[in-house]
This record gives sequence, structure tokens and C-alpha cells, in this order.
Amino acid sequence: MKKIGRFLSSMPFAIGLLVLLAAICAVSSTITQGLSYEAYAAQYGERTAGLILALRLDDAFHSWWFIGLSAVLCLNLLCCNLIRLPSLLRRSKAFSDAQRWFASRGGEAEAHGGDPGKLFKALGMPEAKETTTPEGRKALFSARHRAGLWGAWVCHLGILLLILGFALGQMTGQQFTLYALPGQTKPLGDTGLQVTVNDFRAELREDGSAEQFTADLTVTDPAADTTENGTVSVNAPATLYGYKFFQNSYGWGADVRITKDGEPLQTEALCAGDFLPVKDKTELVIYFQAFYPDYIMIEGSGPSTQSMLPRNPAYLYQVYYLKQLLGMNVLEGSEKLTIDEYAVTFENPRNYTLLAVKRDHFTWLVLIGGVITLMGLVLAFYLRPAAVCAVQEEDGRWRVYAQSVKGGILFRENFEKAAKDSGFELTGE
Amino acid sequence: MLQAENVLFTIVLIGYFAATILNFAFVILKKEKIAKAALILQTAILVLHTAVLVLRGLGAKRWPMTNQYEFAVSFAWALCLVSLIFIRKYKFPVLGAFATPLILLMIGYASMQSREVRELMPSLRSSWLAFHVSTAIIGYGAFGVAFVLSLIFLFRDRMREDGFWGQHVPQPEKLDMISYRSVSLGMLFLTLTILTGAIWAEQAWGSYWSWDPKETWSLVTWIIYAIYLHLRLRRGWKGKAAAWFAVIGFICVIFTYIGVNTFLPGIHSYA
Repeated sequence: MKKIGRFLSSMPFAIGLLVLLAAICAVSSTITQGLSYEAYAAQYGERTAGLILALRLDDAFHSWWFIGLSAVLCLNLLCCNLIRLPSLLRRSKAFSDAQRWFASRGGEAEAHGGDPGKLFKALGMPEAKETTTPEGRKALFSARHRAGLWGAWVCHLGILLLILGFALGQMTGQQFTLYALPGQTKPLGDTGLQVTVNDFRAELREDGSAEQFTADLTVTDPAADTTENGTVSVNAPATLYGYKFFQNSYGWGADVRITKDGEPLQTEALCAGDFLPVKDKTELVIYFQAFYPDYIMIEGSGPSTQSMLPRNPAYLYQVYYLKQLLGMNVLEGSEKLTIDEYAVTFENPRNYTLLAVKRDHFTWLVLIGGVITLMGLVLAFYLRPAAVCAVQEEDGRWRVYAQSVKGGILFRENFEKAAKDSGFELTGE
Repeated sequence: MLQAENVLFTIVLIGYFAATILNFAFVILKKEKIAKAALILQTAILVLHTAVLVLRGLGAKRWPMTNQYEFAVSFAWALCLVSLIFIRKYKFPVLGAFATPLILLMIGYASMQSREVRELMPSLRSSWLAFHVSTAIIGYGAFGVAFVLSLIFLFRDRMREDGFWGQHVPQPEKLDMISYRSVSLGMLFLTLTILTGAIWAEQAWGSYWSWDPKETWSLVTWIIYAIYLHLRLRRGWKGKAAAWFAVIGFICVIFTYIGVNTFLPGIHSYA
């Protein structure tokens, strides 16, 4: 068991895992996710399309092997932190222990003969403590940034919490997409709640580009006979009944009016993409495919819009009978579509709102994980533990030793400069 | 405002070209006076470069970091700033000789982009924009400097006998350490970029991570630099192998910035 733990926490294993993860992410990002076999076959050929689907590369980041790999990464981080914890605690405790220094009597850099107080100050060390060596000699000792030893450990912990929070959120959270025209009420998935879009405003600039989308919502809980109101806009979600509502996108909708032999039969508010079965002949279905606010027919390309302003509205529709396509065309303005005794018109075009609704109980864990990761990086990169020790020799002169955990040659250079400025002679010079 | 920005931008472009020439002259003629002149010039251009960004921001009435042109100008600015800090902090003028061509390339790339000021789409109208993009700019600038330092490290390996390199370029151990400091800065800021981006995405779209190509490639870049940091802890891998990873990391940075927008469009296509 110990051997497995050591292997899982080993550096070569961690590096191999990271290389594999980076390669998988890079390759998967080049494959459009979520397409059908036919779409992949058209793009890459039939053999590659088969391979993509067999390897689940069409939904790589949710595939069992990617989730498994992420779990192995978590295991690696966990084992690494657990195995390193006792030695790190010992090291951290020993780092500011002067007696340990006297026992080892050595450091990365050494000098003798100068003013230790000046040296400590020049190196930016905290005030040195007076102590004695086991041989009874007077000594000064100062250590700083011991917390820096914990940088990688804290960073690993943060990443672990981040992945854990993300995974738990995915497993236990709820996500819905809901679209509705102003005035429409729709159920919120299987929650029992009803969402009414009271108003939706698409604020457009003069050039027709969007500035902001805002929806006024009322959420009703019929079981408890209570309601909650809120306003959502892009970058400003609202929380209603514990669900967070996001203004995600928008589209066009219209009222579809059907008459039979000149008499009104039905009027429904439809969003582009909706189907409408005719009330008294449900095998006859109208499909509202798309809306063009400023319609133009581009030769070779098909119907399009010149702007987002409803200057020349047009509706693309399809008609199905017994699930067979009867035909499709574009109706401009108040043009009428006639099918036997039925007449269909589209009118009152307006925007619908597309809302993302989410309940994630573990966002806080992801956030904490992120903050801890950052703290770990700051500790690892910017708190460089260092210790300086000065021992008075028999002749009364001071000998100083210094060591830095992450400072390397830059700390040694600093020490040498500070030692020279403080009147020390460098050992070995 | 934008006209003044255009004029200043051209001056900055010429300025970086001149600084690059001066730096090359320093390497060829080996005269320290030229290095000092290049450093003064680079510092002066940085002031003008900052003015370009300020004028752009005032002209566009928003943070100037929302399209390819603005990001490239900001990226070049961060490269210049971080390289100057490192040149001064580590007394290492040769860094300028390698950094200025990279800055020139980035500002040259900016000059090829559309400078039209466009209104922001609703999702970009957030106070997170400034945090998210400015951390990316600083992070990318630091990675750029680490890339330059790693190239010098790899180059120095071949130029060991040359007296000039021995005199003006630090020892490999020191180069490796400075490069590590630069990667550390980049890594901290890239992590901040990813985290602020996730918080912003959660607020805008209700999902803090959606495996959009830009997000995925930021993660790939983060992993590459994480590998670099781990490699440095292993005996025998410190130095050359780590330097190569710093080079690969920066290639990932460039791909995340330019390649993803060109080849892998997603929700970050505007950036």
C-alpha cells in the first residue's frame, strides 16, 4: 500500500500525468465537441469519425476516461500532500530552530569577521535572537518566511478543493435552460416552480448592436402559493427560490394566428424553433424556423438580415403533415400562408429571453479552492525561507552562516554582497 | 484622442525598431554605452506606449483591452515593462537585445489589426473585464520575458567560449533562477486570469468553466508551466529541460492568444 502511495505521489508520475492531461486538452480542443457521426464524417472522413465516437472525443471533457484521469490527478495531489505532511511539519519546525543550525554548522554561504547586526539588517532579516551554541559560544540567529515552505503543499490543497468543488457541483447541481416571450409562463424543469417572464428588454444601440438585455421575472411555487420577483440582465444574475437565473441569450418570437375558413381558430406566441400543431388537425404542424428582422435574400446564401432592427420583418417556416415535410418558405410582413381551409399569419415580432438557471451547492468550495491555490502560489514564489546564524569564535570574531530554501544563487549573491558591506571576509575567498 | 493615439502608436513602433537595432549593435560592437542608450530609449518608449494605451482608453471610453489590436498593444507594453524591470533588477542589459525584437513583433502584429473602436457586447460590459484581461497581460508579459531568458540560456550553452557572453550574460544557474522568477510571476498572474475569468463567466453565463477553446488552452498553458515548475525540482532536469518547457509554454501563450482566435472559435472569439 505504501509503495502504491509513494508511486502515486512521485514526481515522475505527476509530470507524466500533467503531460498527458495537457496533450488530451490540446487535442480535444481541436475537435468540435458534440457533433453527430455524420457531421464528423463530413469533416474528417468516416474512419476518423468512427474513432472520434469510439474514443468519446466528441464529448472528451465529460468522457469516463477524462473524469478518471482527473480522479487520478486528485489522488496524486492527495497522496503527495499526505505523504509530505509529516516531513514538512518537521522541516518547518526545525527551520527556525537555532540548535539545529549549530548541529549542522553549515549553510549555502559562509563568512567571518564582520558586524553581524549590520549583516542581518542588510539581508532584511527579522531581529536576531541571542542564544548559545552547545559548546557555550555566544550566537545570534534569525529566520524568516518559514511559511514559504508550505507553498506547494497549500497550492496542491487548493487545486484539490477546486476540482472537488467542481465535481461535486456537477454531480449534485441542477441546470436548466429556459426561453420565453414576455408574458409567457413556463415550468422550471422538474422543480415544480413556474417562471413567468413579465418583460424582456433588448436595449439596442443606433447601429443595431446590443447594449444590454434585461428580463423581469416572477417565479411561483404553486405548492406553497408563494412568489418571488427579480430582474436579470447580462452580468447581473438574480437568485429566486435558491436558483440562480442568468440572462444568457435572446432570440426572436412572434404571434402565430391560424384561421379556418376565415374564422379565428387559434393564436399562439411562438419562439423561433418552436412547433405548433393545428388545434383541430394535430397531424398538421407549423414549424417557426427563423425570424429575420431586416430581411434580405442573398443569392447563393439564402435568407438573411441586414440589421437587428425590425425594419422589414420576415418569417421562415416549414409545414409538416404526418411528420412529412410539405414545404418551406419565407413570409414577409403580414403575408398569409394558405393550406387548404387554413390560413396562417405571423405578427407582432418581439424578442424572447433565453435564461440559464442553475443551482450549485459547491460554488463556495471552488472559490475557496481558487483562493487557497493563489495563496499557495504566493507562498511558494514570494516567501523564500531564509535563515542566518552568527557564532562568536574563540578570538571574538563572528562567523556567519546563511541558507535559503528557494533563493538559490540570487540569495548567495545577496548574502555575499551584504557580508562584504558588513565587513566580513567570505569563506573560501 | 484616437488621432493622437495613431500618431503616438507610429512613433512607438519606430521607437521599438530603433531600440532593437541599438540592442543588436550592442551585441555586435560589444560597447556598453550602446546598451545604456538602448535602455534609455526603451524606457522612453514605454512612457509613450503607456500614453498610447491611455489615449485609446479615453478615446474608446473603456479599458483598452477588448480586441486583438488593443490586447496586442497591451501585451507589448507588458513585455516592455517586465523586461525593463528584470534588466534593472538583475543588471542584465543583454536581456534587452532579445526582448526588444519580441516586443517589436508584438507591436508589429498590433499594427496589422483593425484599430476601429467598437462598442462592447453586453457580456463584456463588466467590471471583471479590467481584472481578467490586465492579469492576463501581465502574466503573458512575464512569460514572454521567461521565454527570452530561456532562449538566452539555451543560446549561452553554445556560446560558452565567447568572452562577451561570459562578461555580459549571467551564469547558467543565475539565468535559470531569473527565468524561474519570471515564470513565477507569469504563473501567479495566469492563475489569477483563469480564476477571475471563471468568476466572470459564472456571472455572465452561469457556468464558470465550459471548456471553451480559450479556456482549454489557458489550462494547457498553465499545465505546461506547472510541468516547468515541477521539472526544476528534479535533479538533472533543472536548466536545459526546464528552459525548453518555458519555450513551449510561451508557444502555448501565443497559440492561446492568436491561434485559438484564428483556428478554434468559441465564446472568446472577440478577444
